Amino acid sequence: MHEIKPRTPAQILLIGVVVLYAAVLLVAPLVAVFQRTFADGVAPVLKAFTDPDVISALKLTASLVIAATVINTLAGVALAWVLVRHEFPGKHLFDAMVDLPFVVSPVIVGYVIIVLFGREGWLGGIPFKIAFSWLGMLLVTVFVSLPFVTREVMPVLAAMTPEQEEAAYTLGASHLLTFRRVILPSIWRGILYGIILTMARALGEFGAVAVAGGGIRGVTETSTLFIFRALHDRNYVGAYSLALLLGVLSVIILLLMNTLRTPTTRKT
Amino acid sequence: MSIVLEQVSKRYGDQIVVNNVSLEVQQGELFVLLGPSGSGKSTILRQIAGLVDVDSGRIELNGRDVTHVPTQKRGVGFVFQNYSLFPYMTVTENIEFGLGIRKVPRADRRQRSEELLDIVGLSGLGRRHPSQLSGGQQQRVALARALAYQPEVLLLDEPFGALDVKIRAQLRESLKAIQRELTVTTILVTHDQEEAFELADRIGVIDRGSLVEVGNPEDLYHRPKTEFASIFLGGGNVLVGRRDEKEITMGAASLPFPADAPPHDPGAPVRVLFRPETVILQRNSFKNNGIYNLGQGRVIGQTFTGSAKRIRLEVEGLQGVRALVPALHYGQHATHIEALVTSAVGDDSQFTDGELVCVGVKDFHVLDPTGLKLLICYTPTDAGEAATAFGLRLAQAAHGPAELLAVAPATEAAAKLREQVEAVRAKCEEDYGSRLTTKVRSGSSPAEILLEAQEGFYEMIILGRNNNPGAKPMGIGATAQRVLAHAAVPVLLVSEPRDTIRRILICTAGGEPGKSDVRFGGRLARRTGAEATVLHVSGHQTSARERNRVEKHLNQAQASLRTLGVKSNIRIEEGPALNGILQEAEAGDYDLVVIGAPTPGRHIGQDFATQFISATSRPVVVVPMQK
Repeated sequence: MHEIKPRTPAQILLIGVVVLYAAVLLVAPLVAVFQRTFADGVAPVLKAFTDPDVISALKLTASLVIAATVINTLAGVALAWVLVRHEFPGKHLFDAMVDLPFVVSPVIVGYVIIVLFGREGWLGGIPFKIAFSWLGMLLVTVFVSLPFVTREVMPVLAAMTPEQEEAAYTLGASHLLTFRRVILPSIWRGILYGIILTMARALGEFGAVAVAGGGIRGVTETSTLFIFRALHDRNYVGAYSLALLLGVLSVIILLLMNTLRTPTTRKT
Repeated sequence: MSIVLEQVSKRYGDQIVVNNVSLEVQQGELFVLLGPSGSGKSTILRQIAGLVDVDSGRIELNGRDVTHVPTQKRGVGFVFQNYSLFPYMTVTENIEFGLGIRKVPRADRRQRSEELLDIVGLSGLGRRHPSQLSGGQQQRVALARALAYQPEVLLLDEPFGALDVKIRAQLRESLKAIQRELTVTTILVTHDQEEAFELADRIGVIDRGSLVEVGNPEDLYHRPKTEFASIFLGGGNVLVGRRDEKEITMGAASLPFPADAPPHDPGAPVRVLFRPETVILQRNSFKNNGIYNLGQGRVIGQTFTGSAKRIRLEVEGLQGVRALVPALHYGQHATHIEALVTSAVGDDSQFTDGELVCVGVKDFHVLDPTGLKLLICYTPTDAGEAATAFGLRLAQAAHGPAELLAVAPATEAAAKLREQVEAVRAKCEEDYGSRLTTKVRSGSSPAEILLEAQEGFYEMIILGRNNNPGAKPMGIGATAQRVLAHAAVPVLLVSEPRDTIRRILICTAGGEPGKSDVRFGGRLARRTGAEATVLHVSGHQTSARERNRVEKHLNQAQASLRTLGVKSNIRIEEGPALNGILQEAEAGDYDLVVIGAPTPGRHIGQDFATQFISATSRPVVVVPMQK
């Protein structure tokens, strides 16, 4: 039998500190939100969800998340394809630029929309409204969640040998068919993982949409903006209810991600 | 004709990967493209499949020009080295992929894939995924997938390269059987000569993008034309002898020049190949005929390889004979021979190291002549440029391989020199193609030139020289002087630009009329199509007997030039040798003067050759004369 070495006091201390740290930082907020939400029972919570502002905020958030995810999935796969399979001058710089949304503060991104498309903006003359509108909010949401699908798909695509595609071509498959039947099954997991991260990021976005949309109640107020305003207005039940819902959604996304990360071994 | 390639080329940047390859593969034939890695053989295969496009040339499959047809429409089956199965499909789905695209009904598809699984010996494994199969099994599936829709042509790119030896042998056998049964025209690419021999109906040998030789395995092994094919297709001995009338002289030994051997000029180097298994070792001298005696050799090493034993010998009689293979270690001078004997116990072919044995060969083969192999030394000076231009002119006329060599005094200067040499080569690319190579060495000029000439088996060194009476010694410059003093091959010195080679003056000088100078001058004239004049300048008051002897010798010289197909005439002058030759060279406006000089270790500076060179501005070839 393999003997398990006894832990030294230093090791026990280290483990204890790390677990405590993680618990305080990660679990405590969730517990706090949960406790506050249901402090007065279930009824006020249910009532909060009938508030037209909450419903409007939820609808707006859902539409932004779905639209941004669809756009970034398509564009992200295309971007990954170009970066992995093609050579062109300035490719390395371009590759690095893809990570720009990770480092630029979302507030600045929102501000750029106002500068560009606001009434006095450089591109203010275009016929449709972008600043302080759904379109502007979508634009910033797309921007901040842009790198995820690309960065998830790139390594899987790079690991795929071009010979698989070439084999399909020699067998008579068109480019489209090859993509659908040969490439997609291999990069599918990467795409899904990227989609989940994109959704999580879009769901939680605050600064960019706040600046770009202006947070007009019932019009450009997303869920996160509603929570912020509700807290300010001392509408605690509303704020906590919506916060809990977003929290639960986030946890579901996290769990989904986890099941994807550890692929089930194929049956023999 | 099932697969036809016509002068197909491909370059990546300034590198030629496929160089003017023309090839015809017959219906149902199994053709193997054999070459070292990086030789461009896979690129050729991918061009046939349309996976790599063609820069110039044509590709035809079954009479249809497919040069610009996309891969999907070529109807080729392709098997990759790394299997490249679709990992998310089952074995059956993989095999049926091509059939599905062709809208073959489901039931027929199923039947065809069962059939193919049967053929490749994997029946019952159709529902597995590729990851559940061994490498050998995966490659069988890849083969079945490629054959499923009955392509006109099957292409295999190193299909067994990733497999271990035993599986490889099994798969080879299966492939051969399947190919015979389905009679599908097949090209297989490999670097493994054993694989090529076992599988091929015919083999094409590829070297640096060029198709060097094509033939059936036995012909290629026993009767190759080129050095590359003979070395690449298995162990062997390639010695360089010299053609002397009806014999090939190799040191103290000689072999009869076979009647069916490719034509060689008299005096030209002859590359003789004999395989290790044709070498006979005996303790007693050879009595029976049919064995060519090479003399006594000492056993210097033995390697046990299982069924056979490889024995290395140093043969005394071959001292000084150049061996292209087996290669010698740096600093070794002796000529080595490799023999292969059976390792059966109790056989009387068991020898001990250091033992002296009689060495003979049962059979040998003469390779095609290379043409004149020239080493052109480039320097960025007027004389260097003139020598380079004249050398290139000669190489072009002689249709022989040539190398541009530049020697940098220090490593730092090498980069710039390399650029210059490359520029010269790029300018002549059209005329010479791959026959012109370049090299930059660093160190002392004469030493590096001599070393390169020796290592590369060049037949002539071409060198610029100062035409400056002030230059020491004797106005020809130190590098030229040292190369002249030590070179074992003729040296051509050029000081001024000259672009025609129409008339060659061969001087048998004042001394003893030589043989090698006439022979080499004759070869130059034959290669360049020039006219030759043999000149002898005898001193005053020569005896009638001496005059007779000279005339007889010159007549012999003219006769041997005639056998080379060179138009020649003879002249005998009287007077001081130096003036006589100079006068004739000017009067006849010769493009090239050939003179002989004793070697090695001659006293350059005071000797006749140096005096003559410094007195003329014409290109001069100094031929070393063996005493």
